[in-house]
Amino acid sequence: MSDTIIQFRNVSKHFGPLKVLDEVDLEIHKGEVVVLVGPSGSGKSTLLRCINGLEQITGGDLIVNGMSVLGGNKIMREIRQEAGMVFQQFNLFPQMTALQNVAFGPQQVRGLSRSEARALAKELLAKVGLAEKANHEPAELSGGQQQRVAIARALAIKPKVMLFDEPTSALDPELKQEVLNVMRNLAAEGMTMVVVTHEMGFAKQVGTRLIFMEHGKIAVDGTPRDVIDNPPNDRMKDFLQHV
Amino acid sequence: MEVNWLIILDFIPQLLKGAQVTVHITVVGLLGGVILGAIAGLMRAYGNAVINAIAFVYIEVIRGTPIVVQVMFLYFALPVLASIRIDPMTTAILAIVINAGAYIAEIVRGAVLSISKGLTEAGLAIGLPRWKVIVHIVGPLAFRRLIPPLGNQFIVSLKDTSLFIVIGVGELTRTGQEIMAANFRAVEIWTAVAIMYLIMTGVLSLALRMIEKRMRIL
Ligand SMILES: Nc1ncnc2c1ncn2[C@@H]1O[C@H](COP(=O)(O)OP(=O)(O)OP(=O)(O)O)[C@@H](O)[C@H]1O
Ligand SMILES: [Mg+2]
Repeated sequence: MSDTIIQFRNVSKHFGPLKVLDEVDLEIHKGEVVVLVGPSGSGKSTLLRCINGLEQITGGDLIVNGMSVLGGNKIMREIRQEAGMVFQQFNLFPQMTALQNVAFGPQQVRGLSRSEARALAKELLAKVGLAEKANHEPAELSGGQQQRVAIARALAIKPKVMLFDEPTSALDPELKQEVLNVMRNLAAEGMTMVVVTHEMGFAKQVGTRLIFMEHGKIAVDGTPRDVIDNPPNDRMKDFLQHV
Repeated sequence: MEVNWLIILDFIPQLLKGAQVTVHITVVGLLGGVILGAIAGLMRAYGNAVINAIAFVYIEVIRGTPIVVQVMFLYFALPVLASIRIDPMTTAILAIVINAGAYIAEIVRGAVLSISKGLTEAGLAIGLPRWKVIVHIVGPLAFRRLIPPLGNQFIVSLKDTSLFIVIGVGELTRTGQEIMAANFRAVEIWTAVAIMYLIMTGVLSLALRMIEKRMRIL
């Protein structure tokens, strides 16, 4: 039990009258790589964004690394430092170089000195294979490179969990792999990850758990190999045929 | 009466004094207008329903009424309503602050909202408090988009100072009017006045273009 890092307790999320998460119970443990799939609008992004408070839950409770997302602003910022997020659209800060993007967080929220933050940023950029792009601005980088910088930026806060919302969906096929490789290495290091993706190959190879969402509920929860090879229901079978 | 351009030379010192008053009202008024506009614009962009509504009403009231009516209100109606009497010069400056503030608020709001929501979320997601996201990420980006429309407003406000003739502030237009009342040299005086405005707005435009050039627009 003590290795639980994220716990959804009967979590609901409404947008006005629209119920997007419907009394979700879910426990994620340290070291798991949870792959989240499901049809468009089923609530995958919302589930992910509730974890780091980009969306506020409207029912139940959600505990991240021992802290409730209902605990107020200060707690929320602490949760965000434990749960790094990578977005589909990268969202790099355009006025900063790759290095500055990565160094910004540790300096601002972890209290590192400028030189410590830069050293850490260099190390992380090397880790994602972009040491030589440190002084380039986002506009000068390919999508795959931008997304790897974004991963380094999230890692720089030293999170315990990484949340990925369709990290390769905006990328050309030939650029997807370089991002997936970085994610694969991260998983191999034991990072806990929650990944919304349509990459079933990645899910099978890297995922330790696969969750299929439907209408704001968890419809299927199993090991990727089992679930993908033997879809437990027709809708999931149907879904897999279309990704 | 024959047109005699040389006569302008006699009135240059007087006109320059008027221009000086115009510049004074414009500079001080816009300084206040930028501060007020930034506050009201941020209230619109980030405030809750109540704060947003306050800023909205201010902006709409000012944008929906002529500046001449606003200055008349400040100068003639306010003393009656609130027994506050202010001198013409202060009234003029205040009118620019309040008037430009409303337009600048909309400019600030537009610039802030034009910055992708994803960048704010990326900032929040690394654990920054919202004010740091505004100061370090959205602010600098919005600022670059602010410069062209802000420059435009500066020029409009500079020209608006000519309307303060109605409360007798001795700015450039009023000065021209006074000279003309004495010698009826309409062509010469109004040409000179127009040229002086053109020089002031020209310098302003040039300065803004230089700032724009030095800042890459992202
Ligand atoms: N800010 C919002 N306001 C109103 N409705 C929203 C908002 N965000 C999401 N929704 C709605 O919530 C539902 C779930 O959205 P969500 O983005 O979580 O789906 P998703 O599973 O990630 O879909 P996709 O695969 O298309 O990304 C959708 O019907 C969506 O329109
Ligand atoms: Mg989504």
